[in-house]
Amino acid sequence: MDRIRKLGVQSLWLTSGRRDGTVTRSELAGFARQGVERLLVIKLNSYAEMDLSDLLRFHCESRNPVTEAQDARGQLGVSLLDQLALRATEEKHELSSAATDCGRTPYQFSGYAKRILAARERQELVGDALTGACAMRPFGKQISDQVWIGEGVSLASSARIVGPTYIGARTIIRAGATIGPYTSVERDCVVDCGTTVERSTVLPHTYLAPGLLIQDGVVDGGFLEHLGWGTVADLQPAGLGSRIPRRESRRQASCEVPPDVSSPADSVPAWNFGSSSAASQPWLQVQL
Amino acid sequence: MSSALRRAQRKDLLSALRVSGSPVIVDLSGCPALNHEDIDLVLECMAQVAGRDTQVLFVAGSGVNRVLLEVTRIPSLVPVFNSVKEALAYSETAAGSDTKDQRASQSQRVWGAA
Repeated sequence: MDRIRKLGVQSLWLTSGRRDGTVTRSELAGFARQGVERLLVIKLNSYAEMDLSDLLRFHCESRNPVTEAQDARGQLGVSLLDQLALRATEEKHELSSAATDCGRTPYQFSGYAKRILAARERQELVGDALTGACAMRPFGKQISDQVWIGEGVSLASSARIVGPTYIGARTIIRAGATIGPYTSVERDCVVDCGTTVERSTVLPHTYLAPGLLIQDGVVDGGFLEHLGWGTVADLQPAGLGSRIPRRESRRQASCEVPPDVSSPADSVPAWNFGSSSAASQPWLQVQL
Repeated sequence: MSSALRRAQRKDLLSALRVSGSPVIVDLSGCPALNHEDIDLVLECMAQVAGRDTQVLFVAGSGVNRVLLEVTRIPSLVPVFNSVKEALAYSETAAGSDTKDQRASQSQRVWGAA
């Protein structure tokens, strides 16, 4: 967001696109009618450390009505559209990210980019962020080499934290638990006694029962996706994990968190990855 | 499965483990996903054979069951297989160290959890 605002962007919209990755004609036509001169569309299915001002410069110099950014693996879901292209959508049915107009020159990006469509790719991005392989950094305080924690984290004295690891705000790690390496336990989670979490991501508001071994997985509430096998298991019927209701997590955290700690992170995941079970692909639309 | 049937099956399985001198294969493929009662039963089976010569082998039967067993660390304590065939092959290989007479007198039992 900060990178986008530095470009002198006038307005930002966060909308949900359709599952097939298209923006509806009516949405784009609406922008044309509002007099939007240039629209930057960032589909949040990839993370790219792109110099957006360079993209804008390329777009203006190449005089394309539409410029799409791509790397060696293909499109990155970042597009710039001029008013001409927006108006044209009124005559077409829709603008698909895959649709290409003749003569359009793509913007070739060679920096760090990671697709985050699958849980495994998100886990790789977490690892890259924790090891400094990309510019993304955890949202918290670094307490030792490659270990970050958020505000109000409760760590039992016998808990073992092995970097690279991130523990999000107000998360409780109970006695004998081992977290890491290559692990992100996000905000408002509880990892119970003796449980080990390695090379995994635990998404916000997740409870993990005592004595478990979570390896190469993404846990979202009561569901565990094994990254190696691609299997999703429901932990709840087996009493192994569950989603913590928001009120309960605040009550648990109230014993641990100083009263002056606000919770702005409640509405924004620390990594902004969203849920592994997200039903739709969000779009960030920026009016330039 | 009704609770009465479940109780009866649990009783039979634990009795079999108590008296059996040969490996017992517990096939979980009848359970699409293990619940807390199933996990309890698996742990009871392990407790029943602990400290004795009888070996218990589990057949996960599905990827979901395999994940749930891994999460509970059970495969680090007892062998877990994807199919009965694999479990039988393992059992026969393990029995290779025993005498032929012993092998001839013992037959593996396969228990199916439905």
